[in-house]
Parts: sequence; C-alpha cells; structure tokens
Amino acid sequence: MILLGKVALGIVGTAVAGVGLLCSDGMVEVKVVERHPEVHHVYVIAPAMLVPIGMRFAPRRELSHAAAQIQPWMPTIRAALDQLRESDDVTLVEVKQPGEHVRVAKEGGSIVVDVEEKDETVHVSTPIRAISSTVEQLAASAPSI
Amino acid sequence: MRKQLCGIVMFCVLSAVATAPAALAGPGERYLHVKVEDATKGESVNVNVPLSMAEKILPTVNKGNLHNGHVSIGSAEMNDVDIRALLDAVRTAPDNEFVTVKEKDQDVRVAKSNGNIVIHVRDGAKGEKVDVTVPMKVVDALLSTAKDNELDVSAAIRALSDAGDALLITVEDASQHVRIWVDSKNGSE
Repeated sequence: MILLGKVALGIVGTAVAGVGLLCSDGMVEVKVVERHPEVHHVYVIAPAMLVPIGMRFAPRRELSHAAAQIQPWMPTIRAALDQLRESDDVTLVEVKQPGEHVRVAKEGGSIVVDVEEKDETVHVSTPIRAISSTVEQLAASAPSI
Repeated sequence: MRKQLCGIVMFCVLSAVATAPAALAGPGERYLHVKVEDATKGESVNVNVPLSMAEKILPTVNKGNLHNGHVSIGSAEMNDVDIRALLDAVRTAPDNEFVTVKEKDQDVRVAKSNGNIVIHVRDGAKGEKVDVTVPMKVVDALLSTAKDNELDVSAAIRALSDAGDALLITVEDASQHVRIWVDSKNGSE
C-alpha cells in the first residue's frame, strides 16, 4: 500500500514538474472575435515553450529563406529583445483611425498586439523569452556557407 | 547601555534596508515619443521608444550610412558644407541669433539660446510651423567622434537621455501635427 502511494506520489510529482517546466516560459495567448458576418470566438492559450520546440520539427528547406534574411539582423533583434525584457511596461506603437485601433505594447514579460476593427478584435500576447528562442531557432536553420 | 547600543544598531540596519532599494535603483527610464495627428482624417500615430533601447540597438545596425552608431556624411550630400565645422562654430559661439530671414509669407530664425539650438520656420502661405530645439549637449555628443566625416548618433542619444524633459520638434500645418519629445513617461498622453 505504501509502495503504491510512493509510486502515485512520483507520478503526480513528475506531472507537476512537467507542467511547471512546460509553462516556465509563460503562455502564448490568441483571442479573436469576429462579429461579421457571424459571431465567432477563437481563444487559444498554449505554453510558449511549444513554439521553439515546434520550430525543430518544421522542414529546414522551408525555413532557410527566412533564416537567411533574418541572419544579418540577429544582433539588432537580440539587442532589442534584451532591452525589451529589461524595460518597464510601455506602449511601443499605437495607431488610431476611425473604426480601427492598433496597439503594440510590452506588458509584463510579453509583447502584446491588440487590433480592434469594426468587425473584428484580435489580441495576441507572446512572452519575449519565447520570441527570443524562436528567432534563435530560425536563425540557426540558415544554410551554412 | 548595551540595550541602547543594540537599539541604535538595529535602527541603522533597518534604515539602511529601507533606503537601499531607492539608493540602488538607477535613474528612471526615459522615452523618445513621436506623435503624429491628422485632424481631418481623425488619425493618430504614437510611437514610444525607451532611449536605453535605442542606445543599445543603434550600434548593431550596419546599413547605408549608419555604422556602429555613427552616421557617415559624404561631402557630396552636404553640397561641400562642412557640417562638423558648422556645428562646432555654433557650439563655441555665445547665445545669439545666427540667421533671420523674413519674407512676405515666410519667417526663418536660427538661434542659440539657453544651451539649445533653436530653429523656427513659419510659412504663412501654407500655414506651416516648424520648431526645432536641440540641446547643445546633444550637438557636443554628435561631434564627439574622432572622424571628420562622421556623427556619433549613439552618443547623442545618451546625451538626450541625460538631458531633462525636452520638446525637440513640432511641425504643424493645416491638418497635421507632429511632435517629438523626450520625457520619463511611458505613454504619449
């Protein structure tokens, strides 16, 4: 009986540790509300760690072009992401037009993009750490010269 | 006596702990704000960039005339005007009005005032107003590089971040209003 308890404790402990590890990079949140022609709600929340892991399984041939283009800008992207991570929360860009509002902000450890239109609302929140790992993965898949 | 001494020591320790975060925290972040408003279209664009971020990013960009935070100026682009010599002359000159042009519909004024270079342009025909105020410290920083045909933009951003709150540029015409300024607020409002 005690042995069974220990095994159960081990399984639960491993599961908790696994979930903790998976969520350690934060969560990617995507929320889309369509109002026209019909009302649709899409809400996806996923561990951010899955994004760079998923990149490993993407076909290299498909990524190589994007990777080659991003390579020269990697020092700039790294510097920007490092600074964003350390900076206070800030609205980086905000565009307002009649019937349209776009906002890109740094909130907590995430980059948040909000788009509000007459017929659609989109909210995307991605942890900076996940963006960083994904971009590094993408750059690493560039063909070596 | 020992109790009193202990009390004093405890008080000192607690005071140090209470004030340490404030003492350790560096100066607050400063932001470069750009705001463009078009009243006729009801549009507005706000951009807020932490200056520390701009300062770190700039040296990593190597494209066109921008290299390692320095901008190269070709003599051909400046119509053989020595921009460094010009800025240096303004820097060392006392407060003064350097250029005043008055025409029927246009006023242009370039001056040095209270440690700033000030440029005012008024175009009555088009209803345009342009005001530029650049702290001299920023001009000094621009010229701090050793090479003659270069301006140190990174150093200028550092200087801007050390300077106080400043309204740098305003451009107004009949419908549009552009403002560029620096302060410690993380929003444009």
